[in-house]
Amino acid sequence: MLQSGMAYLGEDGAARRRRQGPERRNSLPYLLVFLIVAYLTVFILFPITQQFLTSFSNNIVGIDRVQWVGLRNYERLIADDDFWFAVRVTFVYMLFVVAGSVALGLASALLLNRAFRGRSAARSAIAIPWAFPEISAVLVFLWMCNPTFGVMNVFARAIPGIDANLNWLSDPNLALPLVIALSVWKAFPFTFLVILAALQAVPRDLYEAAQVDGASRLQQFRLITLPEITPTLMLMAVLISIFSFKQFTLIWLTTGGGPYGGITETLVLRIYQTAFRFFDLAYGATLGVAGFLIVLCLTLLFVYAQARLDRARSR
Amino acid sequence: MPDAAELRFRLRRFAAGAAFYTVILGFCGVVLFPVYWMIVNAIQPLSYGMQFPPPLVPQELSLQPFATLFENFPVTRWLVNSLILATMTTLIVLALAVLGAFAMTFLRWRGKPAFGLLLLMTQMLPEALVVIPVYAMYRNLGLSDSLPALSLIDAAFILPICIWVLKNAFDSIAEELYEAALIDGCTPLGALLRTLLPLSAPGLVAVSVVAFFYAWNEYLFAVTLVTSPDIRPVAVGLASLKVMLDTPIDRVLAAALFFSIFPVIFYLLIQRYIVAGLSAGAVKG
Repeated sequence: MLQSGMAYLGEDGAARRRRQGPERRNSLPYLLVFLIVAYLTVFILFPITQQFLTSFSNNIVGIDRVQWVGLRNYERLIADDDFWFAVRVTFVYMLFVVAGSVALGLASALLLNRAFRGRSAARSAIAIPWAFPEISAVLVFLWMCNPTFGVMNVFARAIPGIDANLNWLSDPNLALPLVIALSVWKAFPFTFLVILAALQAVPRDLYEAAQVDGASRLQQFRLITLPEITPTLMLMAVLISIFSFKQFTLIWLTTGGGPYGGITETLVLRIYQTAFRFFDLAYGATLGVAGFLIVLCLTLLFVYAQARLDRARSR
Repeated sequence: MPDAAELRFRLRRFAAGAAFYTVILGFCGVVLFPVYWMIVNAIQPLSYGMQFPPPLVPQELSLQPFATLFENFPVTRWLVNSLILATMTTLIVLALAVLGAFAMTFLRWRGKPAFGLLLLMTQMLPEALVVIPVYAMYRNLGLSDSLPALSLIDAAFILPICIWVLKNAFDSIAEELYEAALIDGCTPLGALLRTLLPLSAPGLVAVSVVAFFYAWNEYLFAVTLVTSPDIRPVAVGLASLKVMLDTPIDRVLAAALFFSIFPVIFYLLIQRYIVAGLSAGAVKG
């Protein structure tokens, strides 16, 4: 881990020697990288470029003549309330999934960051949702939320004041929170594993010194633990925001964007619906370009978080 | 004979320990409840699930859900399709990721940062952004409804992460070993094959698991590019149970359980390599 961080800052002797060595003008690396770039170009970059071009056309499935329409789709985009609503849903969803996953991941990592009997069993138990296939999670989640037989109603009815079955996913007030809860359940074990690893990498002698100085546990957390793991927390926030921005399966197969009015319809679902249900390829592509710009911003954030993490590690 | 102070101390320590274990057990219980609930409904007679309130502990065990699942649905077909799809994806990813990580770690060339950025970018792209043009491209080339073609696009999407994970494995191999192999007369690719790969077996396993189960779990491309029921992979087959609302829940959850066992086992085995691989920017999902 340290090595990769060091590489950015300065070269070690071996690397410098090798750079001056005979393989300096070798074409091999370019050949290898060309292979990969070509592969990614055919399957990812080329389709993206096509989307970009399509967004300037009027391509709808079944149309006679596809024409260039300039910026008309983008004008429509800016005036499209549904688009802005989807963007809002996307960010609300992302915000809560990120906050929930990082908070829960940190809490459980702190809980398990001590030696106790059965610790590795508990660690594996918490890691299970991460390893669990999304579709299986969806199937059991749908059954739990079934308005007639669902076990969620058993728990809900234990709360005083609730004596009728709730509708869960068909309830417009509950649908988004439930989808968020499912996503957090799927995402937080990963942040837990990574944060736990980061906690264990904090040098022990820092705590020993703090104890000698009479620092309380809370002070130790605030003054030692938190600064040490902040880069990791940042990285997790970025990674989970990417996870939630990309998320299709968990939302599509539970609410499909509904129960009505697109309450849980994120941008990714909107793109899919526009193309595959309304067959409006051009406008779907335009929404895609908007999504692409958001990805671009997230990538820059990621690079920033990663650079900070590397800097912190190489200290 | 412990005196009163020591007894009090021991008692307090015991109480703290008990409280700690209660919290841990409670937390794990809440986290694992959906998994537990899936198992319960997959191994008890259907009638227990179809009543309200359902009993929280199984009253009676039954293999009927699994039996009817295999009787009524082409489960083995889905399984075989997914095995084919995931194996092909893994092979493509392994070949390309080894070369990519090798170039990133042991070779010197211009443009490494740009290449890294390209990988990051593609790692972050939602599948939904390219699914439409890929669908059109496959239809024009006559590639839709084919597992090999599906594995090509799955491989493209998981490749960047796998390069990061493998790069991290390579990073921990001493530079000197690679140089020694060169001095012994190996070509760079020969050194990769004979020296580096045997030393990075855990990384290779981790990458294989990630690629394999990405294809195993992937839903969006599979449901869009595969229309014939004969070549449906697991993810699409499972989701089709959900769409058929009249499918009794016991076999739906038996299917969910059956297809979760492998990924859970393998992911838990490789988790530490994934976590370590993160230092190079790797992440699943």
